[in-house]
Amino acid sequence: MANSQAATLDRSFVAVAHPLRREILERLARHEELTVGEATHDFPISKPAISKHLKVLEEAGAIVRVIDGRTHRLRLNGESLEDAYAWLARQRELWERKLDVVEEYLREQQRAAGTPNTPRTEDRA
Amino acid sequence: MSNVDVDTGTVRVERTFEASAEAVFDAWTNPEVLRRWWKADPSHEVTIPVLDLRVGGGYRLEMRRPEGGEDMIVHGTYREISRPDRLVYSWEWEGAGPNANHESEVAVTFVEDEPGRTTVVIEHAGLLNDESRANHARGWNGVLDSFAGSGIPR
Repeated sequence: MANSQAATLDRSFVAVAHPLRREILERLARHEELTVGEATHDFPISKPAISKHLKVLEEAGAIVRVIDGRTHRLRLNGESLEDAYAWLARQRELWERKLDVVEEYLREQQRAAGTPNTPRTEDRA
Repeated sequence: MSNVDVDTGTVRVERTFEASAEAVFDAWTNPEVLRRWWKADPSHEVTIPVLDLRVGGGYRLEMRRPEGGEDMIVHGTYREISRPDRLVYSWEWEGAGPNANHESEVAVTFVEDEPGRTTVVIEHAGLLNDESRANHARGWNGVLDSFAGSGIPR
């Protein structure tokens, strides 16, 4: 994996490593676009703290901010989090591949032994 | 059957083989199988400089692409070896992956459902790094479900 891609994934994991940041992401996932106030008005933290969380999300590429005069609108940028999910899915695929190799090896062993050492019941798998 | 649990960073994969638990266990720990594993592309060069199948013993897999680029290297330590039922080992990617130098754990369970038929369950736990895992009690699935609902392909 290229360094830059790995760094992006690291930031994605950091982005979701806080409940308020996940809340922002979930709200944005439910709405196409929200102002900063709409997305965070009920958070029990200061505005500078909110700004800090938004900055983490922006740097991770999890959200994009559209500035329209004095209104800042937030949008979800789904791809970066999808990358994190895809990385986990890739780990699963590696195991699937190992299972394929084990299967192939066992078949070879059985063929080498002359006859399969078990009845064929492949249709049940 | 397989699934990915993004809340805990666990990957679970299951498959049934037409072979005894001993045969599947031995295949799993066979260096020839390990060497073939990464040969989805036959040009890959795989070396296993360390393979010490005993509790506390280590292994190391190095995968080199002929076209160059970074080697894929993984290493770990065998933690439990109960032939033919169960095998547990640590797993750590080297290099620049998202969890490089972060230790996870692979548990492989071999259950002979009936003579000559064995189900293997792989659980690879702790794939996410500590910072993300510590806060993963909730959120990921909700976010991802929302993504799915918003039409972003997964």
